Amino acid sequence: MKPKFLRSRGAKKFFRSRIATFSLVVIGIYAMIGSAVLFFDVISVDDTLQRVGPDSTPMFGEQSLEKRLRDVDFQLARLDTALNKKPEDVEPAIAELALAERTISTKPREELSAEIERAWVSYDTLAEQKDEVEFEAFDAKKAELKESGVEDREEIQRIAGNAADASVAELVASEEFVSSLAQLEQIVDDLYAPLTGWSAKLYDLRRSMGTDRQGRSIAIRAIFSIKIALQIGVVTALLSVIFGSLLGAAGAFYGGWIDHLVVWLYSTFSSIPSLIFLIVISYRFIGTEFESSLFPVYVAFCLTFWIGPCRIVRGEVLKIKELEYVQAATAVGFGKFYILLKHVVPNTMHLMFINFSLLFIGAIKSEVILSFLGLGVKNQPSWGIMIRDSAPEVVNGFFPQLGAATVFMFILVISFNILSDALQDAFDPKHVS
Amino acid sequence: MSAQRNAPILQVQNLTTSFRTDDGILTAIEDVSIDVHPGETLGIVGESGCGKSVTSKSIMRLLPTATSILSPESKIMFDELNLAHCSEKDMRSVRGARIAMIFQEPMTSLNPVFTVGWQLDEALSYHTDLSKSGRRQRSVEMLRLVEMPNPEERLDEYPHQLSGGMRQRVMIAMALCCEPEILIADEPTTALDVTIQAQILKLMEDLKTRLNTAIILITHDLGVVAQVCDHVCVMYAGRVIEKGTVREIFHTPQHPYTRALLESIPKSGRREHGKRLPTIEGVVPALNNLPPGCRFAARCSIAEDQCIHNEPDLKDHAFSGRPVRCHIPINQTTAAAGSKGQA
Amino acid sequence: MALVEVEDLVKHFPVRGGILNRVIAKVNAVNGVSFTIEKGDVLGVVGESGCGKSTLGKTLIRLIESTGGSINYDGVDITNLNHRDMLPFRRRMQIVFQDPYSSLNPRLTVRALLKEAITHHKIVAEADMEDFIESIMLKVGLRADQKNRFPHEFSGGQRQRIGIARALALQPDFIVADEPVSALDVSIQAQVLNLMMDLKDEFGLTLMFISHDLKVVEHFCDRVLVMYLGHVVEEMSCVDIHENALHPYTKALLGANPINDPDDRRELTVLEGDVPSPFNPPPGCPFVTRCPKVEARCNDAMPPLVDKGEGHRVACFVVND
Repeated sequence: MKPKFLRSRGAKKFFRSRIATFSLVVIGIYAMIGSAVLFFDVISVDDTLQRVGPDSTPMFGEQSLEKRLRDVDFQLARLDTALNKKPEDVEPAIAELALAERTISTKPREELSAEIERAWVSYDTLAEQKDEVEFEAFDAKKAELKESGVEDREEIQRIAGNAADASVAELVASEEFVSSLAQLEQIVDDLYAPLTGWSAKLYDLRRSMGTDRQGRSIAIRAIFSIKIALQIGVVTALLSVIFGSLLGAAGAFYGGWIDHLVVWLYSTFSSIPSLIFLIVISYRFIGTEFESSLFPVYVAFCLTFWIGPCRIVRGEVLKIKELEYVQAATAVGFGKFYILLKHVVPNTMHLMFINFSLLFIGAIKSEVILSFLGLGVKNQPSWGIMIRDSAPEVVNGFFPQLGAATVFMFILVISFNILSDALQDAFDPKHVS
Repeated sequence: MSAQRNAPILQVQNLTTSFRTDDGILTAIEDVSIDVHPGETLGIVGESGCGKSVTSKSIMRLLPTATSILSPESKIMFDELNLAHCSEKDMRSVRGARIAMIFQEPMTSLNPVFTVGWQLDEALSYHTDLSKSGRRQRSVEMLRLVEMPNPEERLDEYPHQLSGGMRQRVMIAMALCCEPEILIADEPTTALDVTIQAQILKLMEDLKTRLNTAIILITHDLGVVAQVCDHVCVMYAGRVIEKGTVREIFHTPQHPYTRALLESIPKSGRREHGKRLPTIEGVVPALNNLPPGCRFAARCSIAEDQCIHNEPDLKDHAFSGRPVRCHIPINQTTAAAGSKGQA
Repeated sequence: MALVEVEDLVKHFPVRGGILNRVIAKVNAVNGVSFTIEKGDVLGVVGESGCGKSTLGKTLIRLIESTGGSINYDGVDITNLNHRDMLPFRRRMQIVFQDPYSSLNPRLTVRALLKEAITHHKIVAEADMEDFIESIMLKVGLRADQKNRFPHEFSGGQRQRIGIARALALQPDFIVADEPVSALDVSIQAQVLNLMMDLKDEFGLTLMFISHDLKVVEHFCDRVLVMYLGHVVEEMSCVDIHENALHPYTKALLGANPINDPDDRRELTVLEGDVPSPFNPPPGCPFVTRCPKVEARCNDAMPPLVDKGEGHRVACFVVND
C-alpha cells in the first residue's frame, strides 16, 4: 500500500514542490520532538516548572548592568537565607536552591558563608558607589535649577532625575565598575558546583531562550508545548474527521431521515458561535475529575470541528453515489453498507486528508485562544498558557516568552498550511488528470 | 463547392503549439498548415487527442498564455496580420468580430445569470457602435437568422429556459452578430441529439451560402464531415496526415489511417448486418511517448521498416497531387469505402 | 424462448420542490413499456436523450425500482424480490455502462474489482481465483499482467473492456449495455463492438443494447425498440431498417443521421422544434408536436402498439390505418 501510494501521481506532484517537502520535514521534526516528550518523557511537567536561573533573562543580547547587579543580589540573598536556617534545615534548603543541573557547590558550608560575606562586601561597595553618584548628581542638579529660579517642582524632579540617570550610566559604563561587577559575578558563579560535559550543554539549552518572570526556562516550556499542541491537534482533528465524515457519508448515501438528521445536526451546531460554544463546554468541566486533563479541550473541539468534514464529505458522497461504479456494485448484488464502506468512503479519502490538516491548524490556534482565556490547558504549559503568562512581562518590555511561543506556533501552522495547500493541489481530482 | 477557389482568407503555416506540463514540455500539434477559403467549409477530423481543438484554439489564441507556447516559426496569416505573434490588442479586434467561434457545450458556453438578450447586447456593444434600440433590433434579427421561434420573447429568457439546440442557436447568433469572415465551430453538434444536430447542420449550411462565411468545422464524426464539408484535413497525434476535398478523402483515401477510420464505421444494409467491423488495433500514442518514425506505424497494417524509423513528410503525392504524410500511400482508387452498401 | 418479458413497465420520478420539499410533479421516464427479449437475441433501444432508454435498462435489472408493471426473468417475476432472493438474478443480469471513467472505482485494481464480485457470488474456489481472473481478462482483450493496475492507467477503450470483464466475471446470461461505445473514438468503438459480438457468440449471451446511434444499433442488433418520451413508438427487426421503418419518428431519426458519403448529400430530414419537456408531455401521442403527419385525433389519445406482422409493432394512428 505504502510504496504504491508514494508512486501515485498525486504523491509525485506533491514531492515536486520543494517548499511542500520542506514543510513536511519541519512537521516531521515537530512530530519527533512531540512524540519524544509524549512517549519517553524527555521533558516532564516538573521540568517546565523548575527555576533555572534569575528571572527575566533575555534570549540574547547584553543585560543592563543594573539588572546584573540585581541578579547578583537575588542569588546571594537566597543562598544567605538558606545558610542561616536551623542547622538541620540547611542542607535541604540548599538542595532546593539548585537551578536544574546547576547545584550549589559542595564546599564546606563555613567556606561558603565566608565567600558570601566577601561577595556581599563587594556588592555593597558597588551598590553604594552607585547610590552615591546618583544622589549627588540629583541634588546638585536640583540646587542648580532652584538657583536659576525654576519654580515648577515636577519639572525640577524630572530634570534632576534625568541628570542622575545620566551620571549612573556614566558610572556603570566605566571600566572600573564593569570589571568589579564581573569579578563579583565570578564569585557568585563559584558558589555553584562547576558544570561539565552534557549537563553543561543541557543547562545552556535551558537558558538558550532566557527565563520568564519566575526564572523558568522558556525553551523547555516552548518545546514541551509542542507535545500539547500535537496531542490536541491530532486527537481532535482525527476524531472530528472520522466522526464528521462517516456521519456525512451515511447521511448522503442513505438519504431519507438519516440525511435529514445529519443536516439538522450540523446546521444547528454551526449556528452556535464556535468560541462561545468552546467556552461553555470547557466551563462545564470545571470541578470535575477531568478538569486538569486535556479531555475537556478534546470534547469542546470535536463537537465544533466535525461540521466541516461532515458537510464536505456529504457533498462529495452525494456526487459519488450517482456514479456508475456505485450502480455497478449494486448490480453485482452487494449490500448497501458494503458499498458505502468499500466503494464510496475510500473515494473521499483525499478530502479527509485535506480536512485533517485544516482542522489540525484550527485546533492549535483555538487551543491558544482557549488557554489564554484560562479555560484550555491546565497545570502544564502550552503556547496559549505561555502567551497568557507573558502579558505582564510584555508591559515591562520583556518579549522572549511571547516571542518563543508565537514563533514555535507560527512555524508549525505555516508548515501545515503549506502542506494542506500542496495536498489539495496534488490530490484534487480536478488537477490530477 | 466553387469550381474556382478564391484566395485563402486564412493561412496557417507550420503551426506548432506546446504546453508546459508536469511532465515537461509536450508538443500538442506540430507543423500544422491549413488554408481556409471564403464560402467554404473546412473539416478538421481526428480522434480525441489528435490536436484538432488545440489547432482551433491556437488560431483564436484562446490557450492559457502561462502554459502554452506557439513556436516562433508558426504563422497564422489573416489579412496581413500574423495572429500567432500579434499583440493582444490586435487580437481583440479580430477575435469575435472577424473570426468567431462556437463551442461544443451549449450548456456551459452561455452565462446562466444573464438573459439571452443581455449576452447578445454585450457582444454587440463591444464590437459595434449601435445604439441601445439598434442593438436590440439587431439581436432580434440575429435570432431570426438562426431560425429561433419567437425571437422577441427569447431575448428576455435565461439560458436554462432554452433547450440544448436553442442554446446552440443562440451561440451561433452571438458568433455571427458581427458578420465574421471566419466561423470556427468546435464540435458544435457533439452534445446534441441527431434530430437537433440535423437542424444545426442545416442552419450552418444555409448561413454559409447566405453570408459567404468561411467555416472551420472540427469534429470526430465522419458522417457530419461527409455531409457538410468541402475540404477535409485529417489529423493524427498532433500531425496533419492528409488533406483533400471531401470526395477525395472519402473515395480515394491515401493514408492508411484515413482508410481504416472510414472502414471502421458500421454500415447499414442487409449485407453488412452483424459482420465484424474492420478495426484499427491499439491506441493513439501518448504525446510524451511518441515513436521516432511515423506516428501511426504501430497501428498500421502496411507499415514497413522505414515507417518505424523515419517520420514521413507531408508531401504532395505523385498519384493524386494531394498532400499525404505517408511513405507508402495507398495508390489505387479504392472502392468508395463510405458509400459501400449505402442504400 | 423468451428470457426477459416486460409487461407495462412504468417508472415515475418524483420532482420535489417548494419550501416544504413536497412532491410537486412527476417525470414519466418510462411509460407503460412492454416487450420480450428472446434468448440469444440482441435488442437495441434507440431514442434521443431524455427518452427514458437508460432508465428502462436500469429498471429492468432493478438498479432503479419500478413504479408499476412487471418484469419476468426466465419465468420468474423479479419485480418485487427482496435483496436476498434477488441475489441469484443479480449474478445472471449484468450491466455495462457508458462512461468508461466514472464506471470504475478509481481505488480498485482490475484484480480487486473482479475478485470482489467473483467472491461475492462464489463463482470459483479461492484456489482457482487467479486463473479465472486472468482468463476473463484475456477474453476481453486485456493482458493478464495488467491485473494489478488501477483504472487510470488504462485508456478509454481498455476501461470499457474492464467494465465488460466485470460483467462477464459473474457468468451472466443477460447483459444490459447502456451506451457502451458512445464515449469512445470511432476506431476504438469498432474494437469494442467486435469484442461484444464475439463474447455474445462465445457465451450465448442475450443483450439489451442501448444507444442513440442508429448506425451502431442497425449493425449490431437483431431487433430494435424506438423510444420517444418514455413510450415505445416502434419495435422492429434490424434488418433493412431503412425500408421497413413506418413510424414518422423512426423515419426522422434515420433521415437525420448523416451518411458517410459526400456524393449522397440528401437533405437531412429536419424535425421542427425540440422534444417536449417530460414534466408536461402532450396528452395524446408524445410525438404530436413535431410530427409531419399529425392529425386531429393524435392529440386525444396515445395510439396503441399494433402488430404489423413478424413482430413489427408501431404506435401511430396514421400508419396503422
